[in-house]
Amino acid sequence: MLAKYYRAFKEDLDQRGIIFSFSGYLSEGILYSLGEALRQKMTLEETDIGTVKKVFSVFVEQSQNIIRYSAEKLASDSGQPIELSSGMVTIGSEANRFFIVCGNIVLADDEPRLRERLERLQGMDKDQIKAYYKEQLREAPDERSRGATIGLIEIARRASDPIEFDFDRIDPNSFFFCMKVSI
Amino acid sequence: MVSDSLKIAATERSPEIEFDFGQGTLRFRGESYPEDASAVFGPVFVALDRFLAEAGGRNVLAEFDLAYFNSSSAKALMNIFQRLDGAAAAGTPVSVRWLHAPDDDTMREFGEDFQEDLEHVVFTLVAAEPTD
Repeated sequence: MLAKYYRAFKEDLDQRGIIFSFSGYLSEGILYSLGEALRQKMTLEETDIGTVKKVFSVFVEQSQNIIRYSAEKLASDSGQPIELSSGMVTIGSEANRFFIVCGNIVLADDEPRLRERLERLQGMDKDQIKAYYKEQLREAPDERSRGATIGLIEIARRASDPIEFDFDRIDPNSFFFCMKVSI
Repeated sequence: MVSDSLKIAATERSPEIEFDFGQGTLRFRGESYPEDASAVFGPVFVALDRFLAEAGGRNVLAEFDLAYFNSSSAKALMNIFQRLDGAAAAGTPVSVRWLHAPDDDTMREFGEDFQEDLEHVVFTLVAAEPTD
């Protein structure tokens, strides 16, 4: 039963074209290791260097968004500055393109702002996104975003199509947030 | 006492940073994607301000040989360039060399973007194969 169960789980991932998928508490160390594995895998398959860089960049920005903003965090109660954020990052390929999906819980209070930022980016063409990036680069970061705006613009800049995103309500206080980028 | 250099070794997610006060050179090399860019670049801003204050009209050469950086590092780089441009405006001759691999369009474009935003430094884009 055990092998059958996990074989089915693995085959389900394979059928969806998933190269790897991480779910759970994400740290900077895990981000680094997954990122290295991703680059090695793509390089071994002789993926074009520009594509490798774009996929890696979107992966880093999405993972760091989870580390910064996931509402599902585990903090040390010993007073030490240790905090782990939970979420998922999935990378795969479909129809000759790579896709990178991230998902994490966000507070309902943060949903309108995040939605507004992403909708704004969806409405921009490549030149507008580039100009917006340059404008934000000169801005001092606002208190609550800790650099989120420029991170989302970087993702939009590397994406081959507009970013797809969705929110699924969990309870009155939270949503599951998901973003998909194709390259 | 004035130290004549600053050297910060590269880590897995941050670049090697070298300031040689005697030579008037700054060098950033590697990759930069720390989650908290301010922790990495905060000490660099402090050292850079001292470096530029001491440069006093002598030539300054800043070389950026970066293969990848994340968006929060991009903000820190902009901050460094604004400091360099300010020093150049005040009379210190500042040259910037922005190295990128010949096939790396992303890093070339970042170089061009920074170049467009700076008025007083002499900014050169250099297509070069990585040294290692």
